[in-house]
Formats: sequence, C-alpha cells, structure tokens
Amino acid sequence: METQHKVYGKAARLWRFLRKSRLWFALGILCAVAMTALEMVAPQIVNFTVDNLLSGEELVLPAWLAGLVDAPALIAYLQDKLWLVAIAVIVTGAASVLCRFGNMYFNNKGGESMVKTIRDDLFSHIGRLPQSFYSQNKTGDLIQRSTSDVEMVKNFVAEQLVPLFRVIILLAVSLTVMFMMNPLLALVPLCFVPIVLTYSLVFRAQISKHFEACDICEAELSSITQENLTGVRVVRAFGRERSEIEKFDRKNKEYGDRNVRLTWLFTWFWIVGDFFSGMQVLAVLGVGTYMCVAHGMELGDLLAFVSYNAMMLWPVRSLGRIVSEMSKAGVALGRINDILNTDPELQTQEVKEPDFKGDIVFDHVSFRYEAEGAQILEDVSFSVKGGSVIGIMGGTGSGKSTLMGLLDRLYELEDGSITIGGVPIGQIDRAELHRRVGYVLQDTYLFSGTIAENICMGTDGMDMDEVKHAAGVACFDGAVSEFKEGYETFVGERGVTLSGGQKQRCSIARMLAMRPDIMIFDDSLSAVDSETDATIRRALRREFENCTVILISHRITTLSHADKIVVLDEGRVAEMGTHEELVAKGGIYSRVCSMQGRDEVQSEGEVTA
Amino acid sequence: MRAKETKKKSCFKLPYPKVIAFFKPYLWVFGVILFLGIYSGVVDICLPLFQEYAIANFIVPGTVSGLGLFCLFYALFLLSRIVADFISSYQTGRIEVLIAKDMRGACFKHLQTLSFSFFNQNSVGYLHSRIMSDTSRIGGVVAWDFMSGVWNLSYLIGAAVIMFIKDWKLALCVMVIVPVIALSAALFERRLRTLNGEVRELNSQISGKFNESITGSRTVRVLGAEEKMRKGFFALTGKMNKTAVLTARVRASFICLISFSTSMALALVLWRGGLIAQENLEFIAKLSVFMTYAMNVMEQVQWVVNAMADMIFVRVNMERVSKILETESDVPDSAEVVEKYGDTFHPKKENWEPLQGDITFEDVSFMYPDGNEWVLENFDLHVPKGTNVAIVGETGAGKSTLVNLVCRFYDPTKGRVLIDGRDARERSQLWLHSSLGYVLQTPHLFSGSIAENLRYGNPNATEAEMEAALREIDAWRIVERMGKGLESDVGEGGDLLSTGEKQLMSFARVMLANPSILVLDEATSSVDSHTEQLIQRATERVSEGRTCFVIAHRLSTIRQADIILAVKDGKIIERGSHAELMAAKGYYYRLYTRQYEDEQTQIVLDKKE
Repeated sequence: METQHKVYGKAARLWRFLRKSRLWFALGILCAVAMTALEMVAPQIVNFTVDNLLSGEELVLPAWLAGLVDAPALIAYLQDKLWLVAIAVIVTGAASVLCRFGNMYFNNKGGESMVKTIRDDLFSHIGRLPQSFYSQNKTGDLIQRSTSDVEMVKNFVAEQLVPLFRVIILLAVSLTVMFMMNPLLALVPLCFVPIVLTYSLVFRAQISKHFEACDICEAELSSITQENLTGVRVVRAFGRERSEIEKFDRKNKEYGDRNVRLTWLFTWFWIVGDFFSGMQVLAVLGVGTYMCVAHGMELGDLLAFVSYNAMMLWPVRSLGRIVSEMSKAGVALGRINDILNTDPELQTQEVKEPDFKGDIVFDHVSFRYEAEGAQILEDVSFSVKGGSVIGIMGGTGSGKSTLMGLLDRLYELEDGSITIGGVPIGQIDRAELHRRVGYVLQDTYLFSGTIAENICMGTDGMDMDEVKHAAGVACFDGAVSEFKEGYETFVGERGVTLSGGQKQRCSIARMLAMRPDIMIFDDSLSAVDSETDATIRRALRREFENCTVILISHRITTLSHADKIVVLDEGRVAEMGTHEELVAKGGIYSRVCSMQGRDEVQSEGEVTA
Repeated sequence: MRAKETKKKSCFKLPYPKVIAFFKPYLWVFGVILFLGIYSGVVDICLPLFQEYAIANFIVPGTVSGLGLFCLFYALFLLSRIVADFISSYQTGRIEVLIAKDMRGACFKHLQTLSFSFFNQNSVGYLHSRIMSDTSRIGGVVAWDFMSGVWNLSYLIGAAVIMFIKDWKLALCVMVIVPVIALSAALFERRLRTLNGEVRELNSQISGKFNESITGSRTVRVLGAEEKMRKGFFALTGKMNKTAVLTARVRASFICLISFSTSMALALVLWRGGLIAQENLEFIAKLSVFMTYAMNVMEQVQWVVNAMADMIFVRVNMERVSKILETESDVPDSAEVVEKYGDTFHPKKENWEPLQGDITFEDVSFMYPDGNEWVLENFDLHVPKGTNVAIVGETGAGKSTLVNLVCRFYDPTKGRVLIDGRDARERSQLWLHSSLGYVLQTPHLFSGSIAENLRYGNPNATEAEMEAALREIDAWRIVERMGKGLESDVGEGGDLLSTGEKQLMSFARVMLANPSILVLDEATSSVDSHTEQLIQRATERVSEGRTCFVIAHRLSTIRQADIILAVKDGKIIERGSHAELMAAKGYYYRLYTRQYEDEQTQIVLDKKE
C-alpha cells in the first residue's frame, strides 16, 4: 500500500519528536513545582523557630486551625523539644531533594529519549530516501544536520524550554508568597523583574554579532591550521614556513583580540547583572528593615522574605538567555525538518513475485536524471536470457552504470520498461529485488567493522564457513589469511586500509554471500590482475551455474566468453552479439579487441575450455 | 654550595615545563587574581554580618537612627566587591584567551620545523585538535579554575574562621559535614568523568553511523541492508540513551547529596543554635548569620573539589601539547649549517650558492623511521642537471621514497645524497626547498585569492608574470571565468575550482617559483579530456630544462624520460630507458603493456581521437 508521506511544520515536528518524552518532561516539571514549594517551607520553619519559639512571640493561627490546635501548648511543647524542628527541616530537605532528583532525572530521561527519537527518525528516513537526494545534498551538510543540529534542538528543549516552565512557576510562586506575606515589600522585587529581563535581552541581541565574528574567526584559524597540516608538503617544498607562521599569527592574534573583547563585554554584562541583583537584595533588606521598625513587620517574616527574594534572582536573569537561544534552535529544527519532509522512495503497489531466474528484458529504456538534464539513456532495448552471461562495454558516460541502477531500482524508470521473468520491476517488492539482484558497485564501499561483518552485511548472519566460502570464490581468502587477525581484522574508517583490489574482492565476496539469482559486476575487477580475474570468473561459473550474470568491463578477456556482449555508446546500443560476431563486424568492439593483443585472449580461452 | 643549590632547585621541577612556560608572562595577572579572589571571598563572608548588624542594632532595639549610613556603607562595600569581581573576571578571561593564543602560536610554529616522519605518524585530525582544542582547554581550566579555586577556598576558610569565633561548638557541628562532602564529591567526580568519556565515544560512533549511511547509501541499498543498518543504529542509540541517563542519574545524585547536606547543616544549626538561643536571647542575631554560612559552605566545597579535579584532568591535555613541543625534527640542520645559511625563520640568503640541479645518490640505504625494512639498499644513481627521471609502479608500491630523499623530507639512513657535488646535509633545508618545485598528485591550494596562491611559489611575482605563466599553460581562461581576475577567491582548499583547474594552478605556481629541481607527482584522478590535454602540455612546458623527478601514471611521460625506475613492493627492481626496459620484457614491460591497453581502450570507447 502506498501511503502519502506526511509533511509537518516546525512546531508540529517538535511535538512529534516529543512523542515518547512528553510524559517524562511533564513529570520533571511536576517535580520542579513540588521542589519549589518544598523549598519555600524551609524558610518558613526558620521563620517560625526564630519568631515564635526563640523570641517568644505569640503564634496567631488561622481561625479554622485555632479550633483544633492549642497554640500556646504547641509552642511550649516544641520549645521543649527543639530537635523536632531539626527533624522537620531534614524531612522537608529530604523531600525537596527527592523532588530535585526527580526533576533532574526525568528531564534528562525526557531529553535523551527525545534525542533518540530524533536520531532514529532521521536515520530511518535517510535510509529510505531516493538516490537523487544524495547527489543533490552535500554529505558534510547532511551529517551536520544529523549531529550538531540534533544536539542543538535537544539542548534547547532540555535546557531551555523545559526550565522555562520551571522558571515561570518559580517566579509565580515566590512572588505570590511574597505578596501574601507583605504586599508592599513584594513590590520591590516585582519592579526589578522587567528591568533585569529587558537588560538581559538587549545585551544578548547586541552581543550576538560579536559572537558570530568570533565564530567566523575561529573557523578561519581552524582552516588555516587544517590547510597547513594537509599541505605540509607544499609548504616545505616551497620553503614557505615563515609566511605560514605569519599568516597564522595574524589570524591567531585577531581571534585572541576578538575573544578578549567578548570577555570584556561579558564581564560588563555580568557585573551590571550582579549590580542589579545586589541592588534588589539591598532594596529588600533596606525597605524591609524600615518596615520592621516602622510598621511592625516581624523579623522572621523579613528573613523569609530575603530568602524568597534570593530564590528568584537567578531565574529572571536566565530568562534572557532562553529567549535569545530560541531563534538558533528554530533554525536547527528547520534544517532537520527539511530532511524529514523530503519524500522517500515510492513503495511498491500490487506486489508480484517473479521468477528471478527468468529472462531480463530492457524494452525501449530512456532516462535522464533531471527533467532538463542530459539524456543518459536513449531507447535501449535488449534481453538477457535467464542463466546466461552478458557483457556490457562502453566509454565514460555511456550509461552502463545508470542502466544497472535502473534494473536494481536505485532510480525510478520513466520511459520504457524493464521486466524480470515477465514482471515489470516496478511491481516487485523493493527489498526482495535488492536481495535477489546482487550488484557490485563500481565504487567499492566497505563499512567500518570486521571483514567478516562486511561479508555478512547483505545476509541475515551466517557462520564462519559460509563467510570463508564466499571469500574463497572471490579469491579474497588468501589476502585475508595474511592479516594477523584474519576475518576479524577491522577495516573501514578506523581500521586497516585495504588495497583497491582487496576492496573489490571483498565487495564481491559480500555480494556472493547473499546468494542472489542475478549478479551485476560493475567494473568490479578493474583493480585485480587478469589471472585473478579469470580465476574468479571460473569459480563463479562453477558455484553459481544457474545465475544470470551481467559483467561491465573494458577487458576483452573478461567479456569474450559472455553469451552476449552489448556495446553502449552515448546512451544507445551500438553493437550487440557474441565475441566472434562483434569481432567480425569490425566496429568499436573489434577495434578494442585488436588493441588488447589477441594472444592473451586465446591463451586464456584454452584454460577455460 | 652554589652547585648544591641549583641541584636542589631542579628537584622541584614542575611537570610539563614547556607548557608551564606559557603561564610565566602572566604571573602578575595570577597575582592580581589571587589577591582579588581573596578579597572577594572576605567580602562575601562579611555580607551576612551586615544582616546581623541590622538585626542587632535596628530591629531588636527598634530604631532607625543610622540606617541611612548603614545602607550607604553596605552599598559601598558591595560596590567594591563588584569592582574586584569585574577586574578579576576580566583578567581571568583575558589570560585564558592569551595563554591559549600563545600556546597555539608556539605549537603551530614548532610544527613547521618538524620532519615528515612526524607527520606520517600523526594524523592531521590529531594535530589539528592539539593546536585548536587542547590549547583552549588548558587556557580555560588554568585561568578559570584558578580564579574560582581561590575565591571559593578563601570563602570556605573565612566562613569557618568566623563560625569558630562566634561559637566553636556550633561551628564544629557544621564543619563535620565538610570532609564527607569533599570525599564524596571527589568520588562522584571520577565516576562522572568516566561516564562522560563513554558518552563522547558513543556520540562519535553515532556520527560515524550517520556518515556511513550517507556516504555508503548506494551500497546499503544494493545489499538491501537498510533494516540491518537500522537495527544496528537503534541498538547504538539505545545504548547511548542508557549511558546518558545513567550519567544524568549519577550527576543528579551528586547534586542532591550536596543540597541534602545543606539541609542537614541547617537543621543542625537550628537545633543546637536554638538551644543556645533559649539560654541567651542575644544569640538570635548570630543564629541567622550562622545559618547563611552553614548553607553556603557546602556549595563552596563542591566548587573547590570541582576545580581541583579539572586541574588533575587537564594534565592529559598538557601532556599532549608538551609532547609536540618536545619533539625535535629528525632531519635537523647542523649548527654549522645554521650558522652559515640561517634557519627556517631567519635565512641568510646572502650566503646561498645558486643551485644547479645535479643530483647523485651515493651508496644510499634507507629505512623509514617507523618501518623496519630496507626500502633502498646501497643505491647509486647519478642524475645530471636537466635529466628527466620517471618513477613507475603500482599504487602503494613506494614510488615517493626517492623523491622524499631528494626533497630532504628524510635523510638517508646510510650513504649520501649529493646536490651539485656536495652532501645535501652541508646546506640548509630552506636553501634546497627554495630552489625546488613540487606539484602534488592531489593539488593543494590554500584559501585566498588566485594571486595569493600563485605567489606561494614566488612572493615577488608581479601580476604580469602571473598572467604570463597562466597564459603559457592555457590557464588564463580560468582566471577570466572567475570574475575578479587574479584577486578571485578560490574557496576553502581551492573548492571553487575543479580538480583539473587546481592542477593547472599548481603548475602555474611552480613555474613562477622557477625551480632548478622539479618533483611532479602525476594525478591519477580522471579529468575531462580537454583539461587532460592542457595538463599534459603544462607538464612538458614545466619540466623543460630542469632536473625533473616524475612519479608517473601517464605513458607519454614515461616514454620520453631519460631514466626510468620501476618500483615494486617498495624496492627499485628495474632501471633504464624505455627502449631498454621494453626489450628486457620484465616487470616494466608488463606494467606498460597493461596501461597502454587500458589507455587505448579508453580512447576508442570515448572517441577521443
């Protein structure tokens, strides 16, 4: 069933990303609220202790409580057993710590499961994108989107967006409590909130261009270093070490100066912020003291007030940062969303199961990559008998690889048709097609992992004998046994570097391990010498008798024994026939053939016979 | 006596003297930070005392007389703290930047003097992050942790002292918790570092997987391995999720432990202090101060431990940087040579003899410093001025060894290389390199304009000379296409030019340098036939009349060379002219025939004629 790929806006996408973490974040916020409430309790206990227990002021209970509790008796009881107060502090402390733990834990749990969701969504989607997508986008850019942009979104949500709720709640609660305690005094911190917030926002906006300049400078310095290190031969061979150092020093100094400038601005920012905070504390303390003296405010109330005031200093200052980071995170989210909104490959409708051992027919196939682009294939028609060997020869850009890409549905066919065993490839399940058609690409790509893992890549796992067998057919066994760790040798990015020929043979073994019905070798033996080439082909014939084999090559020795040879020229079929027919015809093939020395071909013919 | 003293001094050597040396110019700044840190600590300790004073002198007696003066004094006190903070934060930020800058510059400069064996053993990525990130990290940790360490420690000590003065028994209650916190902080710190390391490693594995799925997308598709890749990736992100959440849990426990101990301290003070206050009412004022200290001390301990841990862990970065700075070139210029010819940074060009380009290998044996096999043994070869030497062999056969010796990127292990009849070691490397031209297989251009890149070969080249050189090799059209003439930007690493165009630029660069000895590493990468012809012609033009070493991939260069050296498995196995080697029907003959066939086939198929 073909389902329409759904496109989401940024906010909707973010909501989708949060699908497995909403609960965690909600719990985190809940804990934060509880923690805030509990943190408010401790100052009240201190307040109560100092005022009522130690200073001996009379406790005034609300009417509904007064009926239940005998206030003077309670005070006397607690005064006698002061350790109960200590226990109360510890219990509320423990409860608040528990909430704090919950808040941190749930937030992180939410953040991490969100980042897992984003990464998994991206990875799955990238795996389903059509090949044209990869040629239109730079690898580095795609990787950056999948790594640092994801990180950016995660940090924003976990460290800014969720704490935003906490900050708002904290502010609301502490201001409310302060208003309940003393509305007049509460006006003091309330006045400071807009001042601090505006200040922080204005500064952030001002400083952003300095930040960018610094980033650019760092990138330049980094690329000077990179270029110097990669071009060390050029630098040395031209004796230009001194000018390189001058260039580096200039940029290094600029970078240093810019950073010092940034430090200067930031120091001002913090200091002025500190000043505002200090003023806020001072104002509360000053006005509060006055109120204690003139309006009979209680000392315990003032002490509690001071603590609440201190609690709200930080949240307000951090609000400015949250707002200024929002736009950056928005850009990152947009870049991720672009990838996820790209249409994936078409899914197959009305799946049919063909006989993969049957004939392959190319019928009037024409193709171009872009609507306005160059015509790569034009009206290509030929058939391949099931179980036969066919050779394809052609120059650069003659469309050989494109034709094979179409057969394996790496690209969608537009004009003409390709059928396998009578079934159009558009009606074959894509995964099944990939599994039954073994395609050794021109550019060999090995995955980072062991040689054995690479060989098993296209299978659902296999035992060591099977791996060795596949490698043996591809003449790769010998090379592997020379490595100290044999099949467990690590290859790819962080591992041993294989030679071109070894890589080719490894990818042939990988294809053979899939035991496909149709095999395509796209110039896959070019880095292997002709003797090994012949050995591999002989082993293939022996092992995979009934398979259809398509060989793309320039070597007459490789092609000459094919049941049929197709010569492509600028996207069209130029010649077709057996080796003998084409030699007799006197076209491109025969010219290449005379170029490559006949005696070698004949001598190998004897071996095969 | 004196000798003994110096000996004693050397016993107290600080680790990594090469790195420590970068702190020395800023010793006075460290002094300032130390002083101001202590001052700030003292001020912060005194702040609660104001509160105490306010309670004792205004609130308890119920008077406002002197409140104005009190506020003014308090404000001034705060202001001095802010100023101190301002200066020390700015200075800290400044030395962070400057130390990193100095160290970066020194590393970069030192790398310019190191030999090729060093660059072969250390990857570009490794060296790049030593220069860029290790230096920044050292600067940051040393500056900021010093500042925060001083401040927190002085606060901690000061608070302890005041508490002990006020009531030593109560103080003891609070201080008992400190070592417990310090110890557990250190333990948590260690666990967190390991966990963070694991998270970083997993992160880079995830990036690697993204990279693989994007760059290897065709291979994944063709093997039908999408599901397998997805499963592997999900397992990896699952592991990442677990580790990251575990890290968060450990961190949360740590922070909660600290904040719970704050509650403990508060409870203790409230209980014990309350008991004292019941006896002695005046103690109430002291109690509020005590509570403030008790709560702050715990947090301070955490920061001190943090700073110490940072200092311990930054040693890894210091060790890496100091290893680079301590490495000496293994192709050194002797003292006498430097005396006469100058060093890399201060050449004495007036003493330089002109270089003719007559090169003799005299009984040269060579082994790479990181290898254990002789690649040249008792090798003799005379290359008269203007001779064309071609070196042929398969990829990875070790064709560049000879060139490395000519360029003095390495010195022979045994025997001598004579330049114009004198041992190469008798004259400076810069002297040789100034008369040497090198065209790399993968052309390396630097970011900047075309003119800047061309002047790399000759800093004094005029625009007319540059134009002439470009016209001579038919590359002027590239400049015209770029829009801004010679001032056109080539992009990072020359990215705005095609590979062929970059090659032509590097030819022009070497022509402007007008070297006596030319080293040409021919490109294997395919360029379009027109550009290839241009490069072919440029090659011929550039090598005219110069002693020329060509690492050859193309046949035309091979045929016309005066001397051909065939290299296999790192060793020179045949030498002679083209005719001689063809007649011998050995390795060269086979290599040549195969290449010839391939090339001719390509010509027929691509219809290049």
